[in-house]
Amino acid sequence: MEKSLFSFIWRYSKKQQIVILMITVLSYPVSYILLELPKLIVNDAIQGELFPREVLGFEFDQISYLVLLCFVFLGLVVPSNGIKLVLNVYKGRLGERMLRRLRFELFQRVLRFRLPHFKKVSSGEIIPMITSEVEDVGGFIGEAVALPAYQGGMLVVQIGFIFMQDPLLGLAAISSYPMQAYIIPKLQKKVILLSRQRVRNVRVIADKIGESISGVSEIHANDASAWHSADLSDRFYANYKIRFKIFNWKYFIKFLNNFMNQLTPFLFYLIGGWLVIEGNLSIGALLAVIAAYKDLAGPWKELLAYYQMVADVDVKYQTVVENFDPADIYPVTRLVTDEPEPLSGALAMKNVSVSGGAAGQEAFDVSLTVEPDQHLAVIGPDGSGRSEVLQLAAGLLGPTSGRVEVGGRNLDTLSESVLGRQIAYVGPTVHVWTGTVRDNIFYGLRHRPLRPPEREGEDKVAYARRISEAQLTSNPQYDIEAEWEDLEAVACADVDELVERALALIEATGLAADVFRMGLQATIDPEWQPEFADGILAARRALADRVAHDDRFSAMIELWEIDRFNNSASIAENLLFAAPADPSIGIDTLAADPDIEAALKEAGLYARLVEIGQKVAETMVELFANISDDSGLLGDYSFITQDELPEFERILRAAKSGTGKGGLTPTDEQRLIGLAFKLIPARHRLGVLDDDMRAEIVAARATFHERMDKAERRFVVFDRDRFVAPMTIEDNLLFGRPRVDRRDAREKIDKVIRALVDEMELRRPIIRAGLGFHVGIAGSRLSAGQRRRVALVRALMKNAPITILDETATGNSDDDKALRKVIREELDGRMLLFGASNLIVTEEFAHSIVMNQGRVVESAPGSDNAE
Amino acid sequence: MTLDAEVDALRRVPLFRGIDATKLRLLAFISDRTHFAPGEELCRQGEDGDSAFIILEGEADIRVHTPDGEKTVARLGQHSIVGEIAILCDVPRTATVVAATEMDVLTVSKDDFLRLLKEFPDMSLEVMRTLAQRLERTTQDLAAQKASGAAA
Repeated sequence: MEKSLFSFIWRYSKKQQIVILMITVLSYPVSYILLELPKLIVNDAIQGELFPREVLGFEFDQISYLVLLCFVFLGLVVPSNGIKLVLNVYKGRLGERMLRRLRFELFQRVLRFRLPHFKKVSSGEIIPMITSEVEDVGGFIGEAVALPAYQGGMLVVQIGFIFMQDPLLGLAAISSYPMQAYIIPKLQKKVILLSRQRVRNVRVIADKIGESISGVSEIHANDASAWHSADLSDRFYANYKIRFKIFNWKYFIKFLNNFMNQLTPFLFYLIGGWLVIEGNLSIGALLAVIAAYKDLAGPWKELLAYYQMVADVDVKYQTVVENFDPADIYPVTRLVTDEPEPLSGALAMKNVSVSGGAAGQEAFDVSLTVEPDQHLAVIGPDGSGRSEVLQLAAGLLGPTSGRVEVGGRNLDTLSESVLGRQIAYVGPTVHVWTGTVRDNIFYGLRHRPLRPPEREGEDKVAYARRISEAQLTSNPQYDIEAEWEDLEAVACADVDELVERALALIEATGLAADVFRMGLQATIDPEWQPEFADGILAARRALADRVAHDDRFSAMIELWEIDRFNNSASIAENLLFAAPADPSIGIDTLAADPDIEAALKEAGLYARLVEIGQKVAETMVELFANISDDSGLLGDYSFITQDELPEFERILRAAKSGTGKGGLTPTDEQRLIGLAFKLIPARHRLGVLDDDMRAEIVAARATFHERMDKAERRFVVFDRDRFVAPMTIEDNLLFGRPRVDRRDAREKIDKVIRALVDEMELRRPIIRAGLGFHVGIAGSRLSAGQRRRVALVRALMKNAPITILDETATGNSDDDKALRKVIREELDGRMLLFGASNLIVTEEFAHSIVMNQGRVVESAPGSDNAE
Repeated sequence: MTLDAEVDALRRVPLFRGIDATKLRLLAFISDRTHFAPGEELCRQGEDGDSAFIILEGEADIRVHTPDGEKTVARLGQHSIVGEIAILCDVPRTATVVAATEMDVLTVSKDDFLRLLKEFPDMSLEVMRTLAQRLERTTQDLAAQKASGAAA
């Protein structure tokens, strides 16, 4: 990578830099004339004589001459500013493109680092480098060449003019330059060193903040917040100190410059005055030189500012780039080559050694052969070199000596398009990506964009622009919106078949029950999956049938019925008998919805709900006012949190003071209604709801539904015969609420639903819906066991000839044993390397090796893996 | 049935007699109200108990294991409390409780009750007083029994 900023700029933007320079130079005459014209207007047109004048063969008297000059002035203002605009846009765009190129190059380099390199760098340091630290570079690139060339040219012209007037004065004019040229870089150097320190310090800060966030539970569990506070605070202080020093130096440099610049006029007046008095220089020439010197100050100042900026930006560039140039970086072809060659034959390690940089991360002189259909157990405790050997076999780690081959081909020289497709690897720590279960399971098949979406009209144009921009900045032209799943590799005809395959693996690896649960909580779009929605509706009918005939079961559940109040559901749901189309809308926000407010008023329920809310608030305040926060009672049972209590006390006081000033504001009323909305009569038993009110609420449903038709599909009405999209699949199946006043109603209903789902063959589709479950940031909504199984399914999905599993399903539990059996059956006839620390596993494998302290200490008798 | 009725029922329970109304309301509010059909079990002998039941409506049979199989030893009616020992200390249920009719029951969980005691020390005193009175009565009964035994 280019070591200095200028070689980077020149290499990738010389054409554009020249264009910028040309435009700058060409614009010079225009701005020059623009500066000269006012003088001409004043001196020649207003104060001048000798009229009429002849211009281009036309005669002008004084007034029309003035008008002519003024219009010429106006005529030049437009192009002059137009050029500036064009130039600024051009520069800005160039800067942004170069920035994109630089950032992508840096990111690609991160992908090219060898694995051991990541033991030395942390994401907390890398992230600010690629994001914020290079930001300034973009702004600078547009100016990089044009500014010094232009201002330097101006400076030379002005100095030449002064020299022509008088060589001595010329010398005087530039007398301070050698001093400045000598001292300022020296001072600037100090600033540069400080800037470097500052950048490093900020990186450490970023890293420490990142670490505090990822280890936040440790901080709280160990009461270590004070230590971290002190640590960070100290770093902030270091930052302050460095910044302060930088300021001092910067302003000192500025002071020195200003001082020297004003020293020169002193010489002019002294030497020039003396020359004039002696009669060696005319007074006119001296004045001209002083005027020229004033013009000199402009470009000189610009150049100095430029110099300081270069120093600053170049340091930033270098301190970033030096981190992205490790000696052993993989060649870029390893990433970008797309040659899906099959990898067949035996895996052979010949006297392979690797050192991971720390004790216990090494392997010495390992030799082994694994046949293409062989299942080999690699046993060894942590730190025995087991993980390293398996990573070597996966091509993730390069050997320091020896060779790792598959079918005679050296893994270290193969591209990832071979390694990453022909070898499936699940390491000791698995990573689950933020996204859906489906994304994670198909992840191992997403190598390249394969089936681009059809684009028409504007989309097509936008896409063409995207591609050409990518070309201009050496970014990849992969289409993120395409379908990436490599169906061919797994011999599937279409995505449906792929999903079927995924479901079979999910079933086999014991993930099905979990994904089924996720599926029950999922929402689907019935228009996309009409058959599935119909199936759920059929199940709903069967369930309703059961409720009608089974008294014990019907006592557990209150179904949604348009003409009956549901005591196990909140007042909001009872009132709306619909769900917001956007499931993220909470009950609190519902009360503030203008449509709902209007409908409440229309139905005459508004005041009564405020009243109910008021009663609820009164009871809550009465019950919980004396409860301390740490008892947890408030959070578990109250409608109101500790923080809200004072607010509701105020609202209650306002309600008592009656209408008018000091009474309830509309916002207060909304809050009270929001409180009433949350009330579930059967659970809360506050006695604020009588049968009349229930009947009125049921009656008001019609008013709501009428209004909802107008409300642009923001609400979806509960309809026994229709799938309610915003409801989860489970709620759609049940179409009602478990009764809160029956013991274990939910568990009992769950059982019935499960049986029914199996009976109606809905299990598979529900699991399929579960594939859309969002696993949270890095899989945080999955358990550790689920994450590992997801990673296992991902590996098995690849259908690779070589599968390497490390510390996956290695326990003695029945679950793990069953899973191992499934894995071995699934991979029958293909190569499997199974890493475990548990010796018992060897019983299940015909071939095994045992590792200790980086060496193979034992090969199972009868196997051909002996050294 | 509302909170007020439940508070009324709670007040009839000796264990809660001395506790003031607001706190009883809170106790009622955080307790679950559950309906049981005839034949449904509230709790089973030998199980770990974690809640007390206050019968708001209906009746329940108390059954215990005997060498001759399970036998009904008592029937409890409205405002009775069952299993109150379980919310104060960890003991297995000493009997099985079965709903004899349709029942409405207020279930006070041990965790919630203990949290309330922690929150309001006065309440603990009242409970202690009730327990002490009960102990006193049992002791007297015992003494009376012994005395009558000695006389005989």
